Amino acid sequence: MSLKAKRRLQSALVQALCLALGAAVVFPVVYGFLGAFKKPAEFAAWPPGFLPDSFLNTENFRYVFQAAPMLRYLFNSLLVATAGSVLRLFFALLAAYALTFFEFKGKKLFFILMMGTMMLPGDIVLITNYQTVSAMGLTNTYLGLIIVSLVGASQMFMLRQSFRQSPAALREAAFLDGCGDLRFLFSILLPLSVPVLVTLFLQSFVALWNVYLWPLVITSVDSMRTVQIGIAMLTTYDGTNFHTVLAGVTIALIPIFLLFLVLRRHIHSAMTAGALVG
Amino acid sequence: MEAVRRSARVRTRVKPYLYILPMSALALLFVYYPFLKTVIYSLSVVNAKGEIVSFAGLSNFAYLFGRREFKAALSNTLTLAFINVPVTLVITIALGYLASRKRFLSPVYESMFALPVAVSMSAAALIFKVLLNPTAGLVNYLFHLDFGWYQDRNTAMAGILLLTVWMGIGLNFLLFLSAFRAVPQDLADCAYLDGANEAQTFFRIRLPLIAPTILYVSCTNMIQAMMTSGPILVLTQGGPSRSTTTLVYMMYTSGYSSANYSLAACVSLVTFALTLVITLALYALQERRRDSQ
Repeated sequence: MSLKAKRRLQSALVQALCLALGAAVVFPVVYGFLGAFKKPAEFAAWPPGFLPDSFLNTENFRYVFQAAPMLRYLFNSLLVATAGSVLRLFFALLAAYALTFFEFKGKKLFFILMMGTMMLPGDIVLITNYQTVSAMGLTNTYLGLIIVSLVGASQMFMLRQSFRQSPAALREAAFLDGCGDLRFLFSILLPLSVPVLVTLFLQSFVALWNVYLWPLVITSVDSMRTVQIGIAMLTTYDGTNFHTVLAGVTIALIPIFLLFLVLRRHIHSAMTAGALVG
Repeated sequence: MEAVRRSARVRTRVKPYLYILPMSALALLFVYYPFLKTVIYSLSVVNAKGEIVSFAGLSNFAYLFGRREFKAALSNTLTLAFINVPVTLVITIALGYLASRKRFLSPVYESMFALPVAVSMSAAALIFKVLLNPTAGLVNYLFHLDFGWYQDRNTAMAGILLLTVWMGIGLNFLLFLSAFRAVPQDLADCAYLDGANEAQTFFRIRLPLIAPTILYVSCTNMIQAMMTSGPILVLTQGGPSRSTTTLVYMMYTSGYSSANYSLAACVSLVTFALTLVITLALYALQERRRDSQ
């Protein structure tokens, strides 16, 4: 066999192997989607099947929308993830600007304090934060849902790195033209930082969309639950309503899958960005 | 004129602090203050309203260490972390390496390997609940098993591990993929020319070059695994018979459900200290290996 043919064969084999492994990785998700179309009897049958009897069985989805305020859950999650990410980025932006362009007393201390927050996983202070936020009267509110996740030290760090690369003359020129700090930040620097902002926003959005423990403790009424909590509550006491649970799971996964589908490249690089700075 | 100039000077002196105010305030209020409070709680007698009654010294810790639930939680958490991290590393390094060279079908299987990144914890946990159900799920049938999975104390932790490893595949694969792609190809080509085979180039060249990513993935996964609570809340509530109780789950139940704040504070401090020590040890291990090379 010639070297070229050998290479080709090897490449084909590697790709086939990757496809097989990939199928194994996506298997649980596919299984979950298919389960959303099954009838209860199909889960009771032995041997358990893979494909549903009919894809036209949308009964489970209709049931979920009726039994639980699914749209409200989705709206809550969307709002929390969007508003939380925007605010977190906004505060990080201001801090990063101060760190890059201002000299002031306590600058180093501030930087160390902010980087120190990354050492402390949020779960560690869950209970004491719960006390603070409920004492502020913020249980079952949107502000209460996002307020503990607004400290974006890694976002601040990444933005500072990005600002540092902007030429110093840029700011001087803008200031000569009568531009102030805020205007320079928002109408000149911000447009220049769009790629890094998109990355940070997506990172933050996905993380806030998926968070579980905090929304669980800070909300107690159905109308304020996020979709992650909502779908877990679809499980009945005896835990046998697999068909409706999987319909709920499917509904919860669709928006984020669409986001990933549209922004695949962006999200993949957003996920890995900053891995080696922290 | 003098007054105007002075107010302008004050403004430029104050301005930086206005920019850092929101983040500082939030960090103090929701990171440092609750941490300090946790430390104080752990050393105090605290009533169910969260008010400090008296100083307790280390008696809360003594009480915690004597509890059987704590021993179970500690050993379960460590088991989870020390199995999850190496297994995830091996799987995702392998997938990252296999996918590293761009081929015709790359976009397809890259997306497949990365998919778990888009699946939230509770969605994944619920899918695995069905998948691993002893009779309705497909896994027992496909592999000819008769495990009880989440319903049996001997297999519940294995079920949790399957889930957490699967959840970690997406992100860590992406990290290793970009790390392998950043390794300069000519280094490997040189090795091939010198007669090295595929395995030798992998272990002697590529793997050492992605060491920073290995360290990063080990540390982040270790922290995440030490903080495991979500899958326990969704799937097992720590059972059957404490076989899946984890430290953070215990912290949640003792602090949130039972309002035993000092106990919860002790659990969270132990978890924090342990996680910090393990992460630092991983870091030191890496440094030593680098020095010895």
